Amino acid sequence: MAEEFEPRIVAFLCKWCSSAGADLAGVSRMEYPPNIIPIQVMCSGSVSPLYIFSALSHGADGVLVSGCHPGDCHYIKGNYYARRRLALVKKLLEYIGLEPQRFQMSWVSATEGLKFTQIIKDLVRELQPLGPQNKLRRKF
Amino acid sequence: MEKIIQKSAFPQWLKSLQAFKIFLPKRANYGWELNLNHEVQEIPEDYTYPVVPPKKLIFPQEEIFFEFEQNPEDGIKLKEILPEAEQQVIFGVRPCDGLAVKAMDLVFGGTYEDPYYWRRRRQTILVGLACSQPPSENCFCLSVEGSPSSEEGLDILLTDLGDRYFVKALTEQGKSLLSAASSLFNEPDPRDREAREKIHLEAEKKIKRHLSSARELPEKIKAIFDSDFWDEESLNCLRCGICTYLCPTCHCFDINDETKSLAPLKGRRVRTWDTCQFPDFTMHSSGHNPRPDRASRLRQRLSHKFLYFILLFDRFQCVGCGRCVTLCPVGIDIIEVLTRASNHGA
Amino acid sequence: MVSLEQLKEEVKKILSSGNIKYFIGYENFSSGWQVRPAFIRKPEDVDRLVWTPACFHNLVRFLHDEKRRRAREKNPDTRPVGLIVKGCDSRAINVLIQEKYIERKDVYLIGVSCELMGVIDELKLKRHLPGLKPRKILFSPKETIKVITDDDKEIEIEASEILADRCLECPANFPVVADIILGEKIKKKVTSPYQSISPYEKMSVEERWSFWQEQFSRCLRCYACRSVCPMCYCDECVADSIVYAVTADTTAEEKAQKIKWVERNPEPSENTFYHLVRAIHLAGRCVDCGECERVCPVEIPLRLLNKKLEKEARELFGYEVGFDASQPPLIACFRDNDPQDFIR
Repeated sequence: MAEEFEPRIVAFLCKWCSSAGADLAGVSRMEYPPNIIPIQVMCSGSVSPLYIFSALSHGADGVLVSGCHPGDCHYIKGNYYARRRLALVKKLLEYIGLEPQRFQMSWVSATEGLKFTQIIKDLVRELQPLGPQNKLRRKF
Repeated sequence: MEKIIQKSAFPQWLKSLQAFKIFLPKRANYGWELNLNHEVQEIPEDYTYPVVPPKKLIFPQEEIFFEFEQNPEDGIKLKEILPEAEQQVIFGVRPCDGLAVKAMDLVFGGTYEDPYYWRRRRQTILVGLACSQPPSENCFCLSVEGSPSSEEGLDILLTDLGDRYFVKALTEQGKSLLSAASSLFNEPDPRDREAREKIHLEAEKKIKRHLSSARELPEKIKAIFDSDFWDEESLNCLRCGICTYLCPTCHCFDINDETKSLAPLKGRRVRTWDTCQFPDFTMHSSGHNPRPDRASRLRQRLSHKFLYFILLFDRFQCVGCGRCVTLCPVGIDIIEVLTRASNHGA
Repeated sequence: MVSLEQLKEEVKKILSSGNIKYFIGYENFSSGWQVRPAFIRKPEDVDRLVWTPACFHNLVRFLHDEKRRRAREKNPDTRPVGLIVKGCDSRAINVLIQEKYIERKDVYLIGVSCELMGVIDELKLKRHLPGLKPRKILFSPKETIKVITDDDKEIEIEASEILADRCLECPANFPVVADIILGEKIKKKVTSPYQSISPYEKMSVEERWSFWQEQFSRCLRCYACRSVCPMCYCDECVADSIVYAVTADTTAEEKAQKIKWVERNPEPSENTFYHLVRAIHLAGRCVDCGECERVCPVEIPLRLLNKKLEKEARELFGYEVGFDASQPPLIACFRDNDPQDFIR
């Protein structure tokens, strides 16, 4: 059987909601593809566009930023800033010619372990046909 | 060796040079560039000179020195990366750019040769094209001991005689290019020689801009080193770096280690262009910067071209191509600045 | 039409009053039609000033130098700096005030209205007059630009053919902040404000990638685009700094721990990264003065990047750049109903 391309996804997960949600999925023994490299950040609002560009530059096939639902941010407003800032990043990356599926955002709360697994499964399924990300990847 | 080749035979000459990487002038939206993609097998009539000078092909923007890698058995290994062994021929090199290559040869040569520069340099054959008219409004090669038909630094000098080129092979490498397709080349007759002389002389008369008594500039610049003349002249400067990046003789560089991973250690050392116009070019690790302001940096650039190079090599480092004058976004015109420097305090 | 005489009078008046430190305007080169920034200190020098369709430079950029000069001096002269601002330039001033980089009292602004015209694009001019050398370029009362060539021919060119692309989409053809405004404040009607980027928005993802890679492959990383931008005033640029804010006390460890986001080499991935970082840092701040594109020696169409984000800022968040100096920066504010249809 031919080897399927396994996308490597960098996931920036906010500590208070999304990372907890991911932990819940793990603790509950829910299965999801092992393609993500989770990076815990304090808040989705602390995710700088530089992190996303850097992840892509280092060869990430996809980047996910996940935070608390609007209104539930541990720092009250962080996710609102993230929503605005990362919308611009998404538009810019698409405009440059990067496939839109490669950068995604989600709201995952601490209890949404199942949602988290679904998001990862969908993401891997969407990225598999696209192949490795060679556009922004640093060649050396 | 002097020959004639019909322009109609030019594509065949190019074909005979298939073994080389051939760079021809190509029209781009921003001006001319030297390109490997030849849609047309000729040098177009209205060709002036490339915005990015030929130095990019001999002293590229990025030069990889070596790669380093650490593995558990052998420790850290270095792998030297020398430029590819491939010959290249660059057509359409104006005499000023030829002189510029010669100036760079002096810098990178001498007692200690830069191996990266020379590996490329020795693989490069420069086919010059004499100017029938100044390629730029701001050409002033005559003022800095150049000329529209100067042969220095070139392997061949072509002169456009209308339907044919007068071909003067100046070096052994130049001659070897002709021998690859010797049937295309004929002997010139006295009319050809006369036409060539005429074109060269006429071209000199068409140069509009002049910098008078350039040989007196070194002393004049030295005399006003501490003057606030430079403060006024550099008020417009944005320290954007365009003048130096597009200058055919500017060669300052930066060396950086690009680390791919720390454990195991893996990376490479890369040389890139740098410019004395960037504020931190002369920043010392102590935190002191001897050229902290634009005045000192402008003074530095002009002194390097018109004073220090003369002291080192007895020739101007500026070849009078006029690129910095045309491309400076805020209108700093070195011909004007140097003229004013000359008269300052007089 | 803006009266040059009136402009000179105003500058003379303000300089003679001693209330400003110096005035930044435009002057002709020693020959030809080209114009460059001029620093006028004495009232008698006002005759150097010009106002022509070639006055495309954004003089607001020079406020960076003024601020750095003041930071270095022990007892700085805190009088305001005078400068000429067009509509786009005045919006740049508003952005700088909004970000608290300068205060309104630090500048004395003589606004000039572009009326129904704008400034020219040098490349468009060259393409329009192949072989002809312009000696003088003037505004004319009709919607044309008058060019007088080297051999004294007078040519009238339709403004829409040689005006800069940004002028054809201009949202503010007269200054939105100024101490006085010369010329008539006629609002220019713009039917398609984002026409320059729409061909690229319509392209497929792969076509766009090809297009931008071709552009970035020429990039020399000279950083002229960044050096000329009035909004790029950071002492240390996060992308690739050519200035390090270090002192004698900065330890070696601090220097070694600086994060290098972009390598200095001009490989396509690094060039793209640099331009992406610059574009995102200018979101909600770029006023489309067009300088980045104008100064680029290899003509990378940079304003197409910034214009796209300007459009998104307006369409997604209702944000307009540079009209109101009291509004918060784009990414320092939010609305409850900011779009989130892209979020799972």
